[in-house]
Amino acid sequence: MTVETTPKKTRDTRNTGPGRLLIAVYAVFAISATARAGYQILTKFADAPLAHVLSAFAAVVYIVATISLAKPGRTWFKVSLVAVLVELVGVLVVGAVSLFDPVAFPHDTVWSYFGSGYGFVPLILPVLGLLWLYRRRPSGSA
Amino acid sequence: MDGYFYAVLIVGLLSTIICVVAGVMKKAPNDVTILSVAAVELVLLVYLVGSIIRVALGEKIAGEPWEFWGYIITALILPVGAVYWSILERTRWSNFVMGAVGITAMVMAARMNQIWY
Repeated sequence: MTVETTPKKTRDTRNTGPGRLLIAVYAVFAISATARAGYQILTKFADAPLAHVLSAFAAVVYIVATISLAKPGRTWFKVSLVAVLVELVGVLVVGAVSLFDPVAFPHDTVWSYFGSGYGFVPLILPVLGLLWLYRRRPSGSA
Repeated sequence: MDGYFYAVLIVGLLSTIICVVAGVMKKAPNDVTILSVAAVELVLLVYLVGSIIRVALGEKIAGEPWEFWGYIITALILPVGAVYWSILERTRWSNFVMGAVGITAMVMAARMNQIWY
């Protein structure tokens, strides 16, 4: 970590290098999850309110993660951290529940079956996000 | 799956491979990688125009029409956004960003085909 060559001034950003790819993928998921949740809620909300509320929640998490990762500063770092952790917990819990109790989740969400419908990217993304946040954590005690 | 899907599949796959290889080779975005993303945009534009003509000639979209149009419009925005985003920071990571366009376009084209038929 100490071999970081980036000047201290630009250290507190996460929107550079690999972070740009991360933000791009988050942005794609923010768009697709929002569109999907919007579509589900508008057309068939009554079928499975819980699953569709979860879809909407996932969409919000992706939007917050995308924006906060793109912003510099310690506050946005914390927002990113919370968003990515919520995402990780979400995909693990929803993934597990969808596996053990498919009746509770008759409709797929982004996180159902650990995101298998999306090539497991929803499962990998928060792990990469945490690694990236760790590498770019603000210097000093957070 | 129709010809449009296979066109997006081939061009998208090529573009993703070109961009990822360039990224692995630690190259900054260059004409080749940017043009490969532009090719994806071009194929999607042809898809859009072709689809408009088909609907105008009376063909019916089996699924939700606005879902189909939403997908194709979003797909058309992605290459432009990725190229813009990669020009702002010309590092090898921007090639990976552009590499994500082709594969995303492929997935979206597959979904668009499902909606259409």
